[in-house]
Formats: sequence, C-alpha cells, structure tokens
Amino acid sequence: MPRWLAPIVLIIVGIALGLFYGWIIDPVKFVDTTPASLRVDYRSDYVLMVAESYHADQNIELAVRRLAIFGSASPASLAADALQEGRQSNYSEDDISLLQALTRAMQAYQPVSPLAEITPEGGTP
Amino acid sequence: MISPVSYIDTSPNTLRADFKDQFRITIAASYASDHNLERARARLALLGDPDAVQALTAQAQRMLGSGESFNIIQEVASLATDLQTGVASIVSTPTNSPLPTQGIVSQTASIPVTLTLSPDTNIETPTAELASPTVIFDTPTQRPTKTPIPTAGVPFQLISQDQVCNPNLTDGLMQISILDNHRHQMPGIEIIITWSGGENHLFTGYKPDIGDGYADYVMLPGVIYTVRVAQPGAPIPNLSAPACPDSNGQTYTGGIKLTFQQP
Repeated sequence: MPRWLAPIVLIIVGIALGLFYGWIIDPVKFVDTTPASLRVDYRSDYVLMVAESYHADQNIELAVRRLAIFGSASPASLAADALQEGRQSNYSEDDISLLQALTRAMQAYQPVSPLAEITPEGGTP
Repeated sequence: MISPVSYIDTSPNTLRADFKDQFRITIAASYASDHNLERARARLALLGDPDAVQALTAQAQRMLGSGESFNIIQEVASLATDLQTGVASIVSTPTNSPLPTQGIVSQTASIPVTLTLSPDTNIETPTAELASPTVIFDTPTQRPTKTPIPTAGVPFQLISQDQVCNPNLTDGLMQISILDNHRHQMPGIEIIITWSGGENHLFTGYKPDIGDGYADYVMLPGVIYTVRVAQPGAPIPNLSAPACPDSNGQTYTGGIKLTFQQP
C-alpha cells in the first residue's frame, strides 16, 4: 500500500466518524428560534389562529400586533402568504374565508399615528 | 461572518420561551372564538410542553403578576380549565383544515393529573375525595365520556370552611380549593379577594404539588376579607385570620381553609 494512502484513509474515517457523531449520536438541537424561521405550514397555522380571533373580536390592532412576531414582514403579506398556503394545503372553506377576511383587513389597515389624534383647538391657523 | 448559518423550517417546540408564550396566547384566543378543544390541544402539543395545562396556568399567573390584559389572561386560564376537564365550554363543529403533521413532537396529549395534597399543608379536615385516582386523557380524538358537562353559569358553592391552627404554616394563610361536580380539582379558576380599599385576583393551579385546584393568599391580621369564585360564585364575607394559641399559651395568627365545589 502506498505511504500516501494511509493518511487519506484516516482522514476519511475521521470525517465519517465525526459526521456519524454529529448526525446520529448527538445531533444539533435547535433552541431559542424565532417565529420567522418556522416552517411555512406552522406559520400559516399561526396566521389562521390570528384570523380566527380577529373574526371574533374584530380588533385589527391586536391582530397586527400578533402578526408582528414574524419580524419585518408586513401583516398584509403574511396574511396573503398564509392564504396561499392554505389553498395549497386544502384548508377548509371556513378557514379560507377567515384568512381572506384577515388578508382584506390587513391590506386596508393603516396604522394610526398618535400625533394624528391631537386636534388643534380653535380654528385653523 | 461571510455566510452565517440561517435557520429555516423550524418547528414550534424550538421557539424561544417568550415566543412560545405568544403562541399560547394566540392559541387561547383562537380557542375562545371557536371552542375547538381538540384543535387547541393539538396546537399546544406542537410547543412540546411536558404538561400543556401546567404551562398555560403558569403563564396566566405570570401575566397576572405583570399586569397584562385581563381578557387575555382569562382566555389562557379558560383554555387550561377546559383542557383539564376534557370538555369544551361550548361545543362546536371542528373544521377540516389539516394541522401541520410532519415532524410534530407529539399529536397526542397525555395529561396525567395527579390529585394529591402535599404532606406539609396539614389540612385539619382532609377528605379522601381530594386524593383522587390519576386521570389520563389519551388521544385528541377521544369522545367525551359520560362525565356531565358543567353547566355554564352555575355558581361555585362553599362546601367547607375551616380554621387552621398550624404553626408550621405561614401566618394568616388562606387556603382555597376548587372542585368540579365530580370533586376533581380545577386549575385556572379565578378567585377574587376583596377587602376595604383593595382587591386581589388569584388563579388555581400554580402549586400542583399541593393540588391543581389549589390557591392560597396571606391575610393580614385584623383585616376583613370577602372571597368570591369568579365563574360565577356567591361572595363569602367576613373572613379574617383567626388568633390561635400555641403551646406556650401565647397567640399567633392562624389561617383558614375554604373548599368550593360546582354542583
């Protein structure tokens, strides 16, 4: 056997053992992940939950805050993505209706600035 | 730096604790709108909590302590209660939408409920009914059994009120146990304690080592309290910490124990 072959074989065996340990014996455990990293069907189910509660209370501000956990994505795009996923995953008609309603509400939603509520006293300057 | 790892396609059981809290709140809000208990149970199972009822009741207590919206706390506590009893407050028709099925940690909600009393509580009137056998809810598709559905609006009734003179307990300890009509302890039940110029809200279930339907409160000597179970219940007035004699003939502040049951 050539002398250069033994180190190569040992390297390959070492890599294999390392992969076996890292993939089988003690695989990486993901912890403290964020909702933005969730698989699309889990994200869609969460948006569906928001749609269900929005249907009951019609509190659009609360629905927006609940969708905000996904990070910087807009509520409208989150709802639209969930609606698309729901259609592809054969959600029930009731659930599709709820997601449609939430999507429409999010598309029409305009956040109100606190300053807009301050009305000047007297006539216009 | 150049190409750091980015995590994708994770599952809810890997979420950070505060995100899990938000998920539970949203599950509870969704449940409050449709009362689909099995669906709520399956969603909670995705979070990977060892005991979903305990997680919900503990979260409700944390939210109460941090001054969160009372409506939201109520939703979380109600879900915990309904999971505990295995019966939705209002029966609804489940929807057909499939929940995510791949890689779910557990789709079955096995909730062992051990109804025991901690030995150091030294309740003066222990009852055998409170040490009930273990009840296990097996699968989310289990149909309701012969257990009658608690009637909405039926007030909890005070079935026992006892003075507790035990120097080993905290002075002025008011111990409260809430039972359903089958004498099963009920977690997540709100209790309102009022006195002249003050009010406090408690929830049962945060000391599972004592009992799932247990809550306690420390009374001040000389203060008259009124206790009411909020779902609903008649107020129990004129409660105060009794004076108990010790072995040296001196007095110390004792406690009381109240047991409520839904008929």
